[in-house]
Amino acid sequence: MTYALRKLGMLLLTLWAAVTLNFFLPRLMPGSPADAAIAKLSQNGPVSAATRAAIEAQLGVPGGNLLEQYVHYLQQVVTLDFGVSFTFYPEKVSDLVLTALPYTVVLVGIVTVLAFVIGTLIGVLAAWKRGTWMDTLPTLGGSFLSAFPYFWIALLLLFFAGYVGHLFPTSGASSPTAVPEFSLSFIGDLIYHAALPALTILITSLGGWILGMRNAMINTLGDDYVTFAEANGLRGRTVALKYAARNAILPNLTGFGLALGGVVGGSILVEQVYGYPGIGYLLYNAVVNQDYPLMQALFLMITVSVLIANFLVDILYGVLDPRTRR
Amino acid sequence: MKKFPRRSRLLSLVAITIATGLALTGCNIHIESKPDPTIPQDTLLLAADQGSPMYQRNFNPFMANRRIGAAYIYEPLVIVNDVNGDVTPWLAQKVSQPDASTVMFTLRDGVKWSDGKPLTAKDVEFTFNMLKTSPTLDLQGIWQYISTVETGTEEGNQTVTVHLKSADVPAANIIAQTLIVPEHVWKDVKDPGTFTDDNPVGTGPFELGNYSPQQYTMNRNETYWQKDKVTVKHLILPATNGQLAMVTQGYDWGYMYMSDVEKTWGGANKYNRFWFPPGGVISLQPNLTKAPFNNPDVRQGIALALDRKQIADAATEGSMQPATQAGILLPNQQADLDPSIPNGGVITQDVEAAKAAFARAGYHEQDGKLVDASGTQLSFSLLTANGYTDWLRAASQVQRQLSALGIDVKLTQPQPPAYQLALRNGDFDIAMGAYGGLGSQYQDLNGLLNSSNFRPVGQEAPSNFERYQNPAVDEILAKYRTSLDPNETRELGYQLQHAMITDLPVISLYYGGSWGLYSENKYVGWPDADHPYASLKTYTPTALLIFTSLTPRDQTEDKK
Repeated sequence: MTYALRKLGMLLLTLWAAVTLNFFLPRLMPGSPADAAIAKLSQNGPVSAATRAAIEAQLGVPGGNLLEQYVHYLQQVVTLDFGVSFTFYPEKVSDLVLTALPYTVVLVGIVTVLAFVIGTLIGVLAAWKRGTWMDTLPTLGGSFLSAFPYFWIALLLLFFAGYVGHLFPTSGASSPTAVPEFSLSFIGDLIYHAALPALTILITSLGGWILGMRNAMINTLGDDYVTFAEANGLRGRTVALKYAARNAILPNLTGFGLALGGVVGGSILVEQVYGYPGIGYLLYNAVVNQDYPLMQALFLMITVSVLIANFLVDILYGVLDPRTRR
Repeated sequence: MKKFPRRSRLLSLVAITIATGLALTGCNIHIESKPDPTIPQDTLLLAADQGSPMYQRNFNPFMANRRIGAAYIYEPLVIVNDVNGDVTPWLAQKVSQPDASTVMFTLRDGVKWSDGKPLTAKDVEFTFNMLKTSPTLDLQGIWQYISTVETGTEEGNQTVTVHLKSADVPAANIIAQTLIVPEHVWKDVKDPGTFTDDNPVGTGPFELGNYSPQQYTMNRNETYWQKDKVTVKHLILPATNGQLAMVTQGYDWGYMYMSDVEKTWGGANKYNRFWFPPGGVISLQPNLTKAPFNNPDVRQGIALALDRKQIADAATEGSMQPATQAGILLPNQQADLDPSIPNGGVITQDVEAAKAAFARAGYHEQDGKLVDASGTQLSFSLLTANGYTDWLRAASQVQRQLSALGIDVKLTQPQPPAYQLALRNGDFDIAMGAYGGLGSQYQDLNGLLNSSNFRPVGQEAPSNFERYQNPAVDEILAKYRTSLDPNETRELGYQLQHAMITDLPVISLYYGGSWGLYSENKYVGWPDADHPYASLKTYTPTALLIFTSLTPRDQTEDKK
């Protein structure tokens, strides 16, 4: 019990540190939101002084000294009210986040789970059949694929499967004319549009799971209890899954917890390449436009989910592995 | 165990071959435009609006992040052609200036809002007054000129008379370009400053059709006051349209920079056209409060040392030309140019003359470096914004060409917001910057040169970032502001051009383009170099000039 309480205390402390950093970091960036808006406008032509004044007034550039802003910000964090976005003025930050969140959570979430399950299973197989082609192919392919920058894979897929092959749509999360409803055709449309981004993330993240699992598994395969199980004449599959894999999965499970926490952050580059309306794209827009309210809300969400995922993994570890409880 | 390494070597070989193959074929694939066959002939596909990546529904025409479609729904009193400054009366059939501080707009008869109500002088008055009470929407700053607004009638026509705070003739066009909104809809809006105008009611040629966060359509306004001139029946505006989409998906009109435009856009379809008239002047803006840039000889030396053709080619892949030093855009504003200025005011590279100018400023060459009397090398940092790749290419050229003379140039490229901040605070040696392109010589140069926009270094300047102060130029601008005589303003324009050339407050390099792409597949009558009646910008009221000029292309020739 003290173990869980200690972890909870750590969680709260880290949370406060993260929240505070989250406030100060964006403000260290030079220039103001109005500067960012003007910079965008002035690419099309000169911007008059009057326009600048109007834009500053529109964005309601934060007043007061840093301390006042900080206190105000803490109130916002507690009440989960992040005000109005600068970039998408006059949209509310909470509305923007709630619109983008489902896309990211479903796309990145499902793919992360898939990649973990498939990758881990392949890793088990590779370790069990080590030395055969069933080991060489996934191990080599895994390290090969995970070495690719994933935006590059994204661009390749986009170009060949989208523009040249016309197999998949090139951007968006659904057809422009599709009506959001709970129907087979709309869900099909969503899956069709998510195919390329999903494939990109799957291809590039699979390798890590395979290698991690394989290496941990090879270690456990050398342990005495595995040899003992084999000597007892247990079936191969039983030994592989129930004895070796079960013990080897701990490090991968930690990674999985962290990856799940990171899901909320989306996949900035992939969403950017495919124009996918998720959190990653929103975050990119917020940073580029110095949209403090939006940035704060998004960073906070990401930090909190990573911290909570970490906390849960810690607790889970305590249950799975009695040694950590000490 | 021996066979595994060999096998893995084989595998990597295969993989590398595949990857190289992909990369190589990628370079050679020719992309063709595949227009969507479900889009009918009377419908234009526009790359005009950009969601990020989805649209927010906001058609309030006075907001910086409105939907672009608002420009096809709401109309101004007059439209100024941003290419050459020509004025077309629009909702006002006539604009008169009885004296330099009064503007009278005579409204057009028979203009209706899309809900059937007639446009009245009260709507115009209401719009102006609303911009006063909601100053955040006054993007053009019309209330820095206006004193009062009154409505009246003249010969049976409704009029709106605007009294200015002081004599200011050029202000008339700024005020006249205000988009007019209907009083009967907007008067009930509690806070126009946050109003998103979801269901816009305007006088323009199009009405909002189907809206979704990824695309909206617009339909022709069947009660439009010049409906007979509008033959386009529908518009489609998708939220995502990058260069690749523009080329492959059969767009009819877009406004974006396109690399290697003749091969990419032009090569994709035989009806694809482009027109890149100058849209602004990209220049070196020296900080005139700092030595040695406050020395005209140093500016002269830098100006003469540069090969503008090379800079323009590097920056724009050959699309744009070297710019005149006269402070205007050529050939757009050829009519305004003083004919006595040689070579149209374009400074050509003359290294010997540049060295002579530097010598006058007290610099000489020593061990391949240009040094002053104390032996210190002439050295400065050149500020440009990160991500503006054309500017960066130009800046690198400037760096290369000046270092050939022994000048040390360092490039600094902060993120755009930080670049803006540095520019406004005067926190730079020499900055890359754009000016011009409003179509009006006075407006372009007043912002650039008027000392009323001067602020000391460390204070934010509204414009005039190079911090130029010249009482003689201020006087020319003041006269220009109060003159109703076109002959006099032409003469004053000449004087401004000479000031730009002799004083070099900024050093013009090349023209920034106005990147118009269009297709003659469905419609003809687009503006081009021979018919410069508008630029191809999709987001300004000049789009209305284009919509009222397009006619369907004769499709019978396809069947031959």
